[in-house]
Amino acid sequence: MASNMNRIPPETNKRRTILGIAGVVLIVLAGLMQNRIDPQRKEYHDKENVETTNAALGGLNNEFLLLPLLGFREAAAGLLWVRCDEFFHSGDYDAILPLVRLITWLDPHADNVYVTGAWHLDYNFTDASERSDRRYIAPALSLLDEGIKNNPNIPDIKFEKGWQCFDKVKDFATAEGAFWQAIRGPKGDFKTVGDKDQDNEGYWPNAAPLKDVHMLAHTLEKRGRLADAMEIWDMALERSKVVLAKKPDDFAGKSMHDAEVHNRAEDQQRFFDRYSYTNHSANNPTKYPAVYAVANTNGGKVGPFDVALSATIDVPRPHVFKINGRVNLADGGRIDVRITDWHYKDRVAAKDLRALEPPDLSQTILIDSISIRKAKFSREMDMSKDPKMYSFSNKDKLYKIVLTFNSRTTSPHIQDYSGWSGEGLIDGKSDRVMYDMDPGQLATTMIEGQGGKGPAWDGKTIPFKNYGQPPRIIRMTFKITEDQAMGNKPITNADIVPNDNETTIMLK
Amino acid sequence: MIAWAIARQTVNEALRRRIMWVFLISGFALIALMPLFGYLAPKDSQTVLRSLGLAAILLAGLFITIVTCIYLIPVEIERRTIYTVLSKPVQRFEFVLGKFLGGFITVSINVLAMGVVFLLMLYLQSLRKTPDAGFFPWITSGSFAPEMVRGIFMTFFQMLLLAALTIFFSTFTTPIVNFFLSFGIFMVGNLSSVTDSLTTNTNPIVRTTGQIIHYLLPNFGNFNIQNALIHPTNEITNPVEYVRNNIIYALIYSAVLLILAIIVFDRREV
Repeated sequence: MASNMNRIPPETNKRRTILGIAGVVLIVLAGLMQNRIDPQRKEYHDKENVETTNAALGGLNNEFLLLPLLGFREAAAGLLWVRCDEFFHSGDYDAILPLVRLITWLDPHADNVYVTGAWHLDYNFTDASERSDRRYIAPALSLLDEGIKNNPNIPDIKFEKGWQCFDKVKDFATAEGAFWQAIRGPKGDFKTVGDKDQDNEGYWPNAAPLKDVHMLAHTLEKRGRLADAMEIWDMALERSKVVLAKKPDDFAGKSMHDAEVHNRAEDQQRFFDRYSYTNHSANNPTKYPAVYAVANTNGGKVGPFDVALSATIDVPRPHVFKINGRVNLADGGRIDVRITDWHYKDRVAAKDLRALEPPDLSQTILIDSISIRKAKFSREMDMSKDPKMYSFSNKDKLYKIVLTFNSRTTSPHIQDYSGWSGEGLIDGKSDRVMYDMDPGQLATTMIEGQGGKGPAWDGKTIPFKNYGQPPRIIRMTFKITEDQAMGNKPITNADIVPNDNETTIMLK
Repeated sequence: MIAWAIARQTVNEALRRRIMWVFLISGFALIALMPLFGYLAPKDSQTVLRSLGLAAILLAGLFITIVTCIYLIPVEIERRTIYTVLSKPVQRFEFVLGKFLGGFITVSINVLAMGVVFLLMLYLQSLRKTPDAGFFPWITSGSFAPEMVRGIFMTFFQMLLLAALTIFFSTFTTPIVNFFLSFGIFMVGNLSSVTDSLTTNTNPIVRTTGQIIHYLLPNFGNFNIQNALIHPTNEITNPVEYVRNNIIYALIYSAVLLILAIIVFDRREV
């Protein structure tokens, strides 16, 4: 070896030494460069972490494994999404959830997957009568929250959260928050009109599309905050006018603008019809407007309208509930029905959503509604066909059946006399009247002469921290045993118990 | 000059190899098939098309780089043509540099060709304004995305680094071993998000191993910027600086690998 080395010409040795030194210097430089690149690379891969990467790699089939290992997580996610689409069309809904989970781990910026995945969870798991499995709402909302956290700049996921809370859960407080989040946009500027206005598709990066603004206004209407809703319509009109000015012949733009004008006018009309005593007396022939409830407190003749809710429940077969009742409300109204475990609690899905499944599959919850026809309502709730969804397996062997009329979710012609927040309604049996005292449930500020801060409408003062009146609902609660749920023992008026504040008026 | 002559000769030889054309045609086919996912929602279709298009360029580029470069030096030794070359006034380092340059030029031609086809597909998409009108009915409507050039550009430098790595291994291993070594290191190097997080692990053994892997092995994951290209809403503070830093990194690291290749080849008995 030594003799070999001796044969190497000195210039070669010198070159090797220089190269060696240069190599060491360069590798140190490369390390330093890597140090400089790392913080920037984290920005590109900010939502990827070891845990979700490992989980994703562990869950992938061999055919999809190569792409993420070669750095193409998005391509694997794209192919999995194509597979998901096939499952959607073939109706294989159970197969979709693990794929949605894998895709969002592989590509945390796949906003459409969060949106579609949450919609799928909320709407597509149903019983034999097409009633949604409400246990999936918790993972759906958690998935959307994760999507919002990973994509704070994208309004679509926030909009979807708002829409699902509005439409599915009737949680208007959360919906309002989500729509505001969407509208404020990445720069917190919801009034600036962006370059993409002309096609009405989006206002990126200045603000969310107009549909987000519209839904915020509708949510405020649902919450009975008409002044706020009208302000939002004004804001929408301001923006759509700019869009129209740029493209005056655009039919979609015109329709949008006309709808905004109509909706704003309708809000104003309803506000006056329902709450302005002066205006009502002059113009409105409605028999029992909400304003009369207020008038009663001021010495008027007509007080809150007694709906006299009553109901009987028969159990013709095990876990089949035949509900019949009466309520003094017009056709078009609906009575919400809620059948749950006695101690049912809405569970929040774990933050590190490993699987898109309900946090507790043993819970039983049915939510449905019955339409009112000629002051009567009747429907059979068959929970016997879906034992996986309605296991009736809680330890207490006690169940709760709750019937509710909620003004905030009823038809406009009923709201004309009930008011947005039930101001015009009362029940002769006072224990059937409930107030949702959640401070988040801000109510109307509209009642004339009260400025929204005065005493409540029916002679009582309802303490409410924020302003206006809390929403008033009419409700009755039955507490039944396993024997009664099986039909072995009748359900009678003796099973009617005082309403509890723990049972939410939201549909979850 | 000598290295350049060797490079030109290498390109001519490499372009005659059928296996390279197989990968190139596969790459073209993959890119051309992407618009078939047009039955998805428009936004999803765009995401799938762009991500799979860039992935196709990378995959085909990866195999072309490895398959081209693993044979460049061993074949010369096996056929004994290296004796003819080295008996002339050609230094060994010139031979290694020439082979590397030739291999990389071949790879560049391929990546460029696939990039052009990919951009052409995106352009054709942009011509199709509505789902049922325009040219080429099998192409989904969409928008041309010139920013994809950045993705192709990064793949180009990723392949530069990979070519240098493969040439380095080819100075002392057989082509088969080289294939798996290069491929394996490419995969590990692509998990830079994972190796980076290991550098802060509380376990000292895991942390040290993570640091060695992260700072010593070539970090191919640096070049993956496709997420920001596919999802334009994923805003990056300074994308130009990031690309520039990665070009510098690729050049420095490739130089290191070539120096190592020269040193090893210099000492090797042929």
